[in-house]
Amino acid sequence: MIIKKRLATGALGLLAALACGLISPSAALADEPAADSPKVELVLDVSGSMRARDVDGDSRMAAAKQAFNEVLDATPEEVRLGIRTLGANYPGKDREAGCRDSERLYPVGQVDRTEAKAAVATLRPTGWTPIGLALRGASKDLSGGEGTRRIVLITDGEDSCGLPDPCDVARELAAQGTHLVVDTLGLTLDRKVREQLSCIAEATGGTYTAIQHRDQLSSRIKQLVRRSADTPVEAPTPVQGAAQCAKAPYLGSGLYSDRESFGEHRWYRMRVAPGQELRASASVAADRAVDPDYGVLLRAVTPGGQELVRGSEAGSGRTDVISSGLRYPVADADDDEDTTARTVCLELSQSFSAPASVKRTPGLPVELAVDVVDNDDQPADVAAFGLGRGWVLLAVLTVGGLLVGLLWGWLARWRVTVWRSN
Amino acid sequence: MRALRTVGAVLTLCTAAWLSAVAPAAADSGDGKDGKDAPTEAGTNFRTATEIEPGQKATAAASTGDYLYWVFPAAAGQVPKVEATLKLPDGASRHGSATWQLDVYDGLRRHQPCASGAPARRAAQQDASVTVSCTLRQVRSWSERWANDPLQGAYYVRLTVVDLPAQDLGLPIDADIEASVRDTGGAHADGGDVTPLNPALRAGPAPGTDSAQADGASPDSEDDKGGDVRHAVAEPEDGWGSGWWSDRWVWTVIGAALAALAGIGGYTLTRGPRAPSRPPIDA
Repeated sequence: MIIKKRLATGALGLLAALACGLISPSAALADEPAADSPKVELVLDVSGSMRARDVDGDSRMAAAKQAFNEVLDATPEEVRLGIRTLGANYPGKDREAGCRDSERLYPVGQVDRTEAKAAVATLRPTGWTPIGLALRGASKDLSGGEGTRRIVLITDGEDSCGLPDPCDVARELAAQGTHLVVDTLGLTLDRKVREQLSCIAEATGGTYTAIQHRDQLSSRIKQLVRRSADTPVEAPTPVQGAAQCAKAPYLGSGLYSDRESFGEHRWYRMRVAPGQELRASASVAADRAVDPDYGVLLRAVTPGGQELVRGSEAGSGRTDVISSGLRYPVADADDDEDTTARTVCLELSQSFSAPASVKRTPGLPVELAVDVVDNDDQPADVAAFGLGRGWVLLAVLTVGGLLVGLLWGWLARWRVTVWRSN
Repeated sequence: MRALRTVGAVLTLCTAAWLSAVAPAAADSGDGKDGKDAPTEAGTNFRTATEIEPGQKATAAASTGDYLYWVFPAAAGQVPKVEATLKLPDGASRHGSATWQLDVYDGLRRHQPCASGAPARRAAQQDASVTVSCTLRQVRSWSERWANDPLQGAYYVRLTVVDLPAQDLGLPIDADIEASVRDTGGAHADGGDVTPLNPALRAGPAPGTDSAQADGASPDSEDDKGGDVRHAVAEPEDGWGSGWWSDRWVWTVIGAALAALAGIGGYTLTRGPRAPSRPPIDA
């Protein structure tokens, strides 16, 4: 009897829950995350030094936990979020064991807030700081799918394991063509930490933030997670430019990404029909320490080697990118029958240089935006509709009118005289 | 009784879940539909630059050293001006003066010179804020392909610190930025009409290695297929051109009228005093 009742209760409850699931929009959304939904992984340093009590009088760990809870509550529905720790498990002194200590705490996916919060609550400041290893692990966690990828690294110490150098790891990951961005947050103002974290951020086109207050930490992480959701999914198509025009890849209209080493020239090709205009912009990013003076040159060249037009830019000082662009209109052919597309070669070179200590590979990130649009012929007169303006115009017209009037009058008189005399 | 209570509890939970799921969604759609809310975020590169409308004051919270990108539209005949104010971190936490710089790029990512304004400013350690501004040249509706003239289309703004004490990297800042456009009027009205420099934000088709493959990836077929391609900025309400009207019409019409009058005057002069000597009809 009792069992029956229980069963009935359960069945009713289940029915209600099912109905609820059917009409609940969040459940419907949660069940089918889009293939291109953005992915974010929070990588948290749980090394021993996180015990230090210097964030608004609280320990760094406590501040990080509180921030994580707030972030988990504020994560947009479409973002797939994961959490990874480093130095959370091995408390010992053995360097080798300590430097293998990075663990996936919560898999990248739709966030179950309760579960994720419970997982974060168990963390205790423990071990070493293998940042490079954790970045590699995070990149693996984020693999697959078409969406944007972002790693948010929160740490209070420099990498205590030496190799692999986290900065090189970050650059390597960025060069894999998966459009990975690493944003770093430092919980201390220490010089070495700052240098390392800003190097990691620079290598991937991310940002570095020095955290001093608790609310700053949570608002910054929230901002970065939100930014992930806002960033357009249109990632550039990877392409590899050739060393000469004859072997260069043909590009279509759109965004492309490439890598170009110091001192290298890269060629691409475009097809432009008569009556169309080629538009090309290129930006070369400085993803590592470079010398203070640099430049970029983008040339449009015929397959025969004759230069058509060029865009160039030079600069000096701190920068993320140097860019230039060009436009090349192809005039309409004399006979309209000729619609054969012309091949235009694009040559990209830059004059970045770097101190000898800086790694040369992979090359500097290049972004190309190429487009072909309708070409408008050169106007017959650059003034609006050929209209005039100003006092000189009025004077010329008046004097001109007067002269014509006089001439006309004299002509009329002369004609009358001739007619009368006949 | 118990069954009823269970169902009741489930339904209550369910309603709560449903409401909480709907509420943010409704709020989102409200914001989206409005579209007039000033952006509170900045992009981090050309591709992700935040679109702002001229006259709109956009804000962004960022870290010292971030590269902040915005993009706004400018039509032919206008003179764009960008002004950004940075609220710097507390002087006590900074270690020296820093130079902040505003760079403006056109839709082809070509750097545009500032005709006036102060695009770079050095902020002393005790300064609480710093303002940088840049006024471009007048936007043309046509230019030679070799020229760097500003053309109608998108304009990218990049705001960053270019010189700072290393210790100050990463400190929080607040930026607000406003782009405005001023019409120059008929004095500078141009002819010609270039397709706006408004880059399309889409991934390129797979690159081809031989020309046969490239034909398939030719721009025309892409355009047909793409249909609704997202661009860096939306077209301004009044269009990209400066319109057909300018005060040149008034000048030219006045000139024509003066010419006509002068013509009649000249003709009359040649008739001499003979004309009035004609005898009245009824005399």
